[in-house]
Amino acid sequence: MIKSLKQFTKTRSEMVRGMAVAVGLAAVLALPGTGFAQNETPKVGGVLKIAHSTRIATMNVLNLSGPAEYPAIDMLYSGLTRIGMDNHPHPDLAESWSANSDATVFDFKLRPNVTFHDGTPLTSDDVVATFEAIQDPARGASARSVLTMVEKVEAIDNLTVRFTLTVSYADLPVAVAHANARIISAKALAGPKENLENKPNGTGPFKLESYDSSRMTRLVRNDNYFIEGVPYLDAVELHLFPDLTAQSANYLSGNMDVLLAVEQADYDRIDKAPGSNALRVASGRFVNVVMRFDQKPFDDVRVRKALAMSIDRQTLVDVILEGLGRPARDNILSPEYAYVIDSPEIPYDTAAAKQLLADAGYPDGIKIDLVASNRPAIRGQVAIAIKQMALPAGFDINVKSMPHDTYLANYWRKGNFYMAYWGMRSTPDGAFTLLLTSDASYEDTAWNNKEFDAIVAKARSTPDDSERAQLYAEAQKLILRDTPYIIPFFQDVLTASRDGVKGWVVHPLNRVYYIESVWLDRN
Amino acid sequence: MSLGYLTRRLFSVLLVLVIVSFAVFAITMILPGNAAVMILGEYATEDQLLALAEVLGLNRPWYIQYFEWAGNILQADWGMSLRLSLPVGEVVGDAFWNSASLAVTALVTVIIIAIPLGILAALYRGSKVDLGIGLFAYVGTAMPEFVTATLLLVFLAGSAGGYLPAGGFIAPNESFPGFVSHVILPAGTLGLILMAHIARQVRSEMSDVLASDYIRAARLKGLRERTVIRRHALPNSLAPAVAVISLDIGYLLGGIIVVEEIFAWPGLGRLLIYALENRDLPVIQAITLLLAAVYALSNLFSDLVIAALDPRVRY
Amino acid sequence: MSDFVRHPAGVAGAILLTIIALAVLFGPLVAPYDPQAFHTTVRLQGPSADHWLGTDQFGRDLLSRLLFGARSTIAFGVGATMISVIAGSLIGVTAGVVGGWIDSVIMRGLDGMLAVPDLLFVLLIVTMLGAGTGEAMLAVSIAFTPGMARISRSSVLSIRTREYVLAAVARGESQRYIILSEVIPNAIGPIIVEGTIRVSFAIMIGATLGFLGMGAQPPSTEWGLMVSEARQFMYRSPWVVAVPGLAIAVAAMGFNLFGDALRDAFDPRRSR
Repeated sequence: MIKSLKQFTKTRSEMVRGMAVAVGLAAVLALPGTGFAQNETPKVGGVLKIAHSTRIATMNVLNLSGPAEYPAIDMLYSGLTRIGMDNHPHPDLAESWSANSDATVFDFKLRPNVTFHDGTPLTSDDVVATFEAIQDPARGASARSVLTMVEKVEAIDNLTVRFTLTVSYADLPVAVAHANARIISAKALAGPKENLENKPNGTGPFKLESYDSSRMTRLVRNDNYFIEGVPYLDAVELHLFPDLTAQSANYLSGNMDVLLAVEQADYDRIDKAPGSNALRVASGRFVNVVMRFDQKPFDDVRVRKALAMSIDRQTLVDVILEGLGRPARDNILSPEYAYVIDSPEIPYDTAAAKQLLADAGYPDGIKIDLVASNRPAIRGQVAIAIKQMALPAGFDINVKSMPHDTYLANYWRKGNFYMAYWGMRSTPDGAFTLLLTSDASYEDTAWNNKEFDAIVAKARSTPDDSERAQLYAEAQKLILRDTPYIIPFFQDVLTASRDGVKGWVVHPLNRVYYIESVWLDRN
Repeated sequence: MSLGYLTRRLFSVLLVLVIVSFAVFAITMILPGNAAVMILGEYATEDQLLALAEVLGLNRPWYIQYFEWAGNILQADWGMSLRLSLPVGEVVGDAFWNSASLAVTALVTVIIIAIPLGILAALYRGSKVDLGIGLFAYVGTAMPEFVTATLLLVFLAGSAGGYLPAGGFIAPNESFPGFVSHVILPAGTLGLILMAHIARQVRSEMSDVLASDYIRAARLKGLRERTVIRRHALPNSLAPAVAVISLDIGYLLGGIIVVEEIFAWPGLGRLLIYALENRDLPVIQAITLLLAAVYALSNLFSDLVIAALDPRVRY
Repeated sequence: MSDFVRHPAGVAGAILLTIIALAVLFGPLVAPYDPQAFHTTVRLQGPSADHWLGTDQFGRDLLSRLLFGARSTIAFGVGATMISVIAGSLIGVTAGVVGGWIDSVIMRGLDGMLAVPDLLFVLLIVTMLGAGTGEAMLAVSIAFTPGMARISRSSVLSIRTREYVLAAVARGESQRYIILSEVIPNAIGPIIVEGTIRVSFAIMIGATLGFLGMGAQPPSTEWGLMVSEARQFMYRSPWVVAVPGLAIAVAAMGFNLFGDALRDAFDPRRSR
């Protein structure tokens, strides 16, 4: 079952009009997620068991990033807004929002009568405290990079929060839907850090019952959740199986109901197994090859293009992704993003690549080390494949695998040739300002293209939709011209659930889940 | 055996632990990454890393960090896990009991099975029984745990066999039958190599003893074979078996690392791998010390048992 | 020697070791394919005419990978053990011959290092040195040295009091002569036996490190790494796991059997 998603952001005018319709939506849809079969009524009750293979090391929503941590905090916390399966921001704790005419000031109105799990009521002070914490460098918050345009957050009254921005930014409701920008109580933020890590206190549909990071985390229904009628489940258990073989064995034997992340190699087997349903979603997730502009040999764009032509992208999709993905053409935006342009195909032509290398002054080819961290393993696999494919073109690549922390400490953002791995962002601006602008949060390729920076800055504050489209088209053309990264494919997000589990879905952003709308039909 | 000997042994155990703790500390200081890097991962900017490292106390000079840690240990304060933000004592303590339940089960099963096997092999030396047991022993010792574990998982667990659970853990006090069903495969994997060692050792010792003059004399005296074995051969063969068992405990402590990883058993082995990956120094220190102490004490214990079994040994 | 040949286990071990030695020496020369070359149309196949042992997830020929990997896997085990034998013997023989307080200090140090279980010690060192074949080999040799030192020391100690040594002393031979001509030739026996058996442990630890991702790194053809990478494809082609797994077992068994047979042959006191 493939779902493909288009139109990632609302047009600006819709955003600014403030979603008066949102209140109605909230009551009816409530769940920006799933569509279950029309004639099935959800049954209440039951315990959902989810199998995962990476440890839930922390519940600190500000800086966690583990694949199994996201579903946990998605159940425990709520944000101002939440990304739906339609990729638009939907009301979550904010029941509506409005902005001034040039999108520099946003007011979010909070739902009344929302309480945290410990009973304290939600007020705008909590929202203010949360966003101040996100912007505090000492906290190491992941959402900080998407909120750099926020100058001030203030509580106008008990249930209204005002964001004042340094530039015009129509996508603020998308930015505050960031999975790590969930609302924490001011009291918790002022308290000891250990409580943030181990005793999460949120406003989400589930609350924490027990947390043993080496084994199992158990969440139970929050009876005071602000949306009536959900969640359906009594409890959710997240079970850790560090070994992939044991994990899938437990799922297939029926011991577990959901397999959070399915490996490409297993997908077919899990899909065909009786009682099991595998699910895949096209996503803009990618592995990329980083080549620094400010060091030889990649300072010459011909060398970059030569390597780009020495990679057989379709084969990578077939062999490494087992077909569960799509070949990409070095554009950082996958087809799902708004404003994406068509990128020209890049053929696998090692003869032409060899010629380009000779033109650039390397007639005997290039000998170079390619660094790949071992987490996730796909980095090393792609590196090995690239090594083989690029050999006929004259690239003599030596793959250097290493533990993840050695890579982070010594090579990330420093080395001139390594494999990186990034998930999808909500908007093109999100992708560009994360990696490609000169002042991007995790900039690592030394592209430093002033023209690109200017286009992105202008597009951010452009009210007119078609002008924006034009600007983003130019930005992408620059990317395709200079090849800051080689992006060989986009990887689908894969998950699986057993018969009897209704409503289990996955979002291409892979950080959003709608577990409050999951129900069990066991008979 | 003198009290002086016991005291000296205990003292040397302590000395060894101090050396080990310092060595582990030195090792982790040399590592390229640190816990702050691992916690923030790819979301880290320079200033965030420095800030978090400051909070975790990682920027202080090494000797200050070591002595503060050592001082705390003496007050039974094992510090906080850098990665998990939980007290080390709690995290390691839970893991310790889980590993202990697995290790003890493996050891007990092994002793119950391997010693009789070794005796059988010695008694029927040269026969098909001996050959069979010998073959089992050799194959058993030749397979690394991850191969054995994988084979057991494929053939006996999960969807293929469906008989036994494919990894996971239930505490014995939560549900004893649950515990037993989950412990069978990991304990079996661990036990296989140990069984082979011990059976072989018992067999060879027993054969030597059976051929000795001393046993010949007992037989000539007209004693029944069963009495000969029980009262004369067995006690003398067991002493070396105890020595092998204590050596194997060292092997066991290494084996649990891989077995716990594969079978999702939340013990010290799994925790150690996680701590090493994340440069969680307090946890690495605690686990290493704990395992070294267990090993050293078990060696001491087995020396005492040997002394009890064999009157010729005098300390 | 005739003792040895009569021992069937020893013969079996010798045969296995010969096969292994041939693979190590000539493997890369007779391998039919480049072990790293992809054959993407025949991924995860079982044995066939083109690929006698089948192919892996990238379509690489398993037989070729096995033959190339023999060097990394076996050389790792033999190399690490040899280093530990040389270093350990030096330390142990010195302690045994010199005696006195130097001996006590050395013994204390060895006891300290022996207190940490093997795999744990290796893991700590490898974490410090970084992952990789060379680092892993160094780690294993460091971990094995105390054990070898112990063995050589006790070997020397037991020989010191033998008649032929006492006779040499009575004859007035120099210490150097005694060590070189009397002690070492007789002490070597147990050291070699222990060393041979240790090789099988070294191979297994090396494979385990490869499995944990802390030893050989991709795209190395080390057998433990092959098993680790292949596990998730196990259900699609059991050959990817079985082939390297069995190879490890065969190699370890060969060294074990051979070492045991050596022990039985060397030790005159052992009853047949």
